[in-house]
Amino acid sequence: PLTPMTPVTPVNSASESSGIVPQLQNIVSTVNLACKLDLKNIALHARNAEYNPKRFAAVIMRIREPRTTALIFSSGKMVCTGAKSEEQSRLAARKYARVVQKLGFPAKFLDFKIQNMVGSCDVRFPIRLEGLVLTHQHYEPELFPGLIYRMVKPRIVLLIFVSGKVVLTG
Amino acid sequence: MAYQLYRNTTLGNSLQESLDELIQSQQITPQLALQVLLQFDKAINLALAQRVRNRVNFRGSLNTYRFCDNVWTFVLNDVEFREVTELVKVDKVKIVACDGKNTGSNTAE
Repeated sequence: PLTPMTPVTPVNSASESSGIVPQLQNIVSTVNLACKLDLKNIALHARNAEYNPKRFAAVIMRIREPRTTALIFSSGKMVCTGAKSEEQSRLAARKYARVVQKLGFPAKFLDFKIQNMVGSCDVRFPIRLEGLVLTHQHYEPELFPGLIYRMVKPRIVLLIFVSGKVVLTG
Repeated sequence: MAYQLYRNTTLGNSLQESLDELIQSQQITPQLALQVLLQFDKAINLALAQRVRNRVNFRGSLNTYRFCDNVWTFVLNDVEFREVTELVKVDKVKIVACDGKNTGSNTAE
């Protein structure tokens, strides 16, 4: 039995030769438009926008290409979610910024940053999760059917399922 | 106060036009016209809530949506309105929808 001092990372060496490439499913990014925004004004004039200040203090706006959702705050800060690549996330964020600009606000595009990326893949064979539980993992099948592996280097969280499907995030 | 949502309908607009004519010819005051419209609001809201029983289904593709001040506004394209008896197809329809739960009430949920 392996001691807690020897974390095993079989996933790394296996994926280099297996040819399995995780597919990007979601990218979350943020950007600062650097000007105060009148959210009600934006909600009334932009298309595909929702604003319910009682529930959430931001305008929720969507565009079809790249298919994404943005949360726009009165501070001028914005979150962009749903893109399938870093470039698409940046492009989408620029489109939202342009919408805001066209409504008359002096929007800039400062400090664009990718905050999180989510990928998924299939190793194509069943995994015995009970055998994987060492350090860096949490596995409580009653609570959640996936094993939560918090890899240290790189700092990634993997959700590993008996089906062989793996979700990577962080 | 009942929703003024129904003023911009064929019925509501006809009423407003008639009232405007009466104001022009000085047969009624603008204040009276306002009172008539407020009564129209109450009457139409009540009638739709209590006297309409039939159900219509519709399906189309969503062009745009908006939610602000608790009012949903949709624009749909290529819509089919279906009632048991008949089918109506339109290229474009705009739907403005207010919360049906607390009509005229100001209390927060």
